[in-house]
Amino acid sequence: MLTSQLDHATRTETSAQLESGGGQIVELPGESDWREARDAIAGAVQVDIRFGKFNDGRGFTLAAHLRERAGYKGHLRAVGALIPDQAQFLKRVGFDAVSPDRTDLAADWARAEARFSVVYQPAVRGPLAVPAKRIESGADLAVLNARYGEADALDILRDAVTRTWRGRIALLSSFGAEAAVSLHLLSRIAPATPVLFLDTGRLFAQTEQYQRELTQKLGLTNIRILKPQASDVAREDVDGKLWSRDSDACCAMRKVRPLDGVIGDYDALITGRKRFHGGERMKLPAVERVNGTMRVNPLARWSAEEVQAYFRRYDLPRHPLTDMGYASIGCWTCTAPAHSDDVRSGRWAGQDKSECGIHRPLPVAAE
Amino acid sequence: MYRYDEHDTTLVRERIEEFRDQIERRMDGRLSEAEFKPLRLMNGVYLQLHAYMLRVAIPYGSLRAEQMRVLAHLARTYDRGYGHFTTRQNIQYNWPALTDIPAMLEALADVEMHAIQTSGNCIRNVTADPFAGAARDELEDSRPWAEIIRQWSSLHPEFTFLPRKFKIAVNGAGEDRAGIRVHDIGLQIVENARGQLGFEVWVGGGQGRTPRLARKLKDFLEPQDLLSYLTAALRVYNAHGRRDNLYKARIKILVDALGIEGFAAEVEEEWSYIRDGDLKLPAGEIARIRSFFSRPELTGPAPLPEAGPAAFRAWVDTNIRPHRVAGLSSAVISLKPIGGTPGDATAEQMDLIAELTERYGFDEVRVTPDQNLVLPHVRNEDLFPVWSALREASLATANAGLASDIVACPGLDYCNLANARSIPVAQAISQTLDAEGLAQAAGEVTIKISGCINACGHHHVAHIGVLGVDKRGEEFYQITLGGAFGEDAAIGEIVGKGLAADDVPPAIARILRAYLDFRDEDERFIDTLRRLGSDAFKEAIYADLAA
Repeated sequence: MLTSQLDHATRTETSAQLESGGGQIVELPGESDWREARDAIAGAVQVDIRFGKFNDGRGFTLAAHLRERAGYKGHLRAVGALIPDQAQFLKRVGFDAVSPDRTDLAADWARAEARFSVVYQPAVRGPLAVPAKRIESGADLAVLNARYGEADALDILRDAVTRTWRGRIALLSSFGAEAAVSLHLLSRIAPATPVLFLDTGRLFAQTEQYQRELTQKLGLTNIRILKPQASDVAREDVDGKLWSRDSDACCAMRKVRPLDGVIGDYDALITGRKRFHGGERMKLPAVERVNGTMRVNPLARWSAEEVQAYFRRYDLPRHPLTDMGYASIGCWTCTAPAHSDDVRSGRWAGQDKSECGIHRPLPVAAE
Repeated sequence: MYRYDEHDTTLVRERIEEFRDQIERRMDGRLSEAEFKPLRLMNGVYLQLHAYMLRVAIPYGSLRAEQMRVLAHLARTYDRGYGHFTTRQNIQYNWPALTDIPAMLEALADVEMHAIQTSGNCIRNVTADPFAGAARDELEDSRPWAEIIRQWSSLHPEFTFLPRKFKIAVNGAGEDRAGIRVHDIGLQIVENARGQLGFEVWVGGGQGRTPRLARKLKDFLEPQDLLSYLTAALRVYNAHGRRDNLYKARIKILVDALGIEGFAAEVEEEWSYIRDGDLKLPAGEIARIRSFFSRPELTGPAPLPEAGPAAFRAWVDTNIRPHRVAGLSSAVISLKPIGGTPGDATAEQMDLIAELTERYGFDEVRVTPDQNLVLPHVRNEDLFPVWSALREASLATANAGLASDIVACPGLDYCNLANARSIPVAQAISQTLDAEGLAQAAGEVTIKISGCINACGHHHVAHIGVLGVDKRGEEFYQITLGGAFGEDAAIGEIVGKGLAADDVPPAIARILRAYLDFRDEDERFIDTLRRLGSDAFKEAIYADLAA
């Protein structure tokens, strides 16, 4: 929806009023260089850009430059040999008004300005561009989830790694109780894909050992170990007991921020999360968006039994702690054996917390 | 293949309404002819020698069967029963009435097609490798990127009144089949050391009266920055490109004037301000568009057929290209029957091709820059039925890539810019070469004919180029040698004085005979030519003309 119409044709009168009010009106030829024009328009209340010919499009770029780069916020008017078919373009590059040489076509100008409800390009003003609309409405997720909805995990992974996000995707692995499944699937497709491993400094020794063992066995060649900043640890966790006072702050420092530090390198992260994990994960889609990065969850629809069957079928090594009743494994400080069928019941047991925060939108920072 | 969503559909419908309104305003005088002309051109409507011409966009040359059927319907209903496929992967209809055009556009919109920006001083339909998504030497499918550019460039508020036309090509394969070095901007998809894809950017290529090969503008552009970088380049061009001389208005002249370093510095400066803004491509949008372009998977692949009639085996030898999926092949449908008009297809032929596309082609057919069609995905065991059906429709000429696979502009038979005819010359050359078996004997040779210096027939980048010139009211033809289109792109050199139309076919036959004498074993024509230089062939061209 256009919020207001371009002022049309009657501008001369307004200009006169502005002039009498002491405001300065500057006219620039469309071919002006915006840098050179900057001084001339300093202090102007109105700038007119003159189009010598309607099909000399320099004035469009000049207007965009004045708005976007020179920071000109005053009234901007297009004057000269313009035609109604240009109304919407003029408005979108930043003009407020138009004064065409031919003055008898006001109805055509008004109609032309409302002609297109859809635009593909972001611009100074006008409707939201289509790519942004699609993201806003989740059209991209709808298309991808429709595509991946019935596909099996290997096909999803293959498509994600070799085609849809090729070169801009990594697998995020805890090297925990079920991690061998997604790592093994990945090793069958592209073992050089980056695997991000968050070494919080609070991991079980068994996890570190398992990480080395699995990496070697599966032939994964691109493990990237992400650690918390030493300076953050020294400042925020002086006594090493932050986890017991404020587990959210501890997760933020040891997992969320280290991941944030590299996430710009990727458009998508593969996770091994599954719906049967319960809690927020019960509605997990194949593809979702978290803080602008896509998350691909090829195993979302797998059951606990399917996970176990996969381990048996490929004779995958188990995390040493699974024999001791650990069904989901994070830091030693905040992980206990599962105490029910809920596999994640041993994570932050006794707290109202079920996720560390790496899969969740960031909380809005307090002002 | 990409499918429109409600936004794409709405834009195309609104554009038709706009064009209807523009015609009405032209009729009642609210638009002058001078004002109407660029507006109709931006919707693909030319005024030619005999009638209006409508050029329909076939983005990156890709069509589904139902789209091909609509092209056939337009040929039957609004043209004289045929359409003409062009070197920029579009199709032209030469005989519509102006007032029929909105109805034609409606029919196109029904199958997600349009004629937007197929002409005019704006960003034109994007060219891509016609074998994209199929070719064995492909690094990455170029079509999603071409689609992203198609959308971004459609009705661009800032770049609709450029100094001159602006053509973009995207190539994702080892061999450059999109012609990135002869486009205003060419994008070659490359992979960096980290396995990430990006674009090598080339700028300032073009043909016409000042042919230029594009120069490299940037080694590696990250995909999410594609549109901000193109915007920066277009801004520099829109602001600084020449507008005082039609023939010096293309971006290649600006790049000449500033030097490639100077031009690159301007673009980088502009880009540094906008690269992190709203033009950054959302990962979700890239993924969404990519997800439309899948390739068929096969179980139980069959080998290429080795049996069958000699004519079929000859067609397999010349017209089949290797596919990246075992058991599939890409089949070139030659629109170059011996003595025919290059690039023309009748409505009946288009309907048949639509049927084959649906039945054997995984619903995809492509238009090539050589004015042929391609079924990119055909099961090897289906090649014989495909060939048999094509042969019934005179579409099975076994000459893809041979000297009789001639590219030609419409020339003086249609075009009001032309100095000379192109089509009859092409017809005569293919007949002469065919009669002597020379096209088959000489193997890979490109011959391209332009009827004037605007070079729509791409003669500059042909191994053997033919340029029609007007000399005191008579048509003459200059021969150029040594041009090339792909990654070894080169501009051909003019050899000697022009020839009369009748002298062109025998001169070309003599060039090929000379090559067969000169070549070392399996050496290709272009390699022999590069080894010996064009002077070695000059004698052959003018041999029988001395007397």
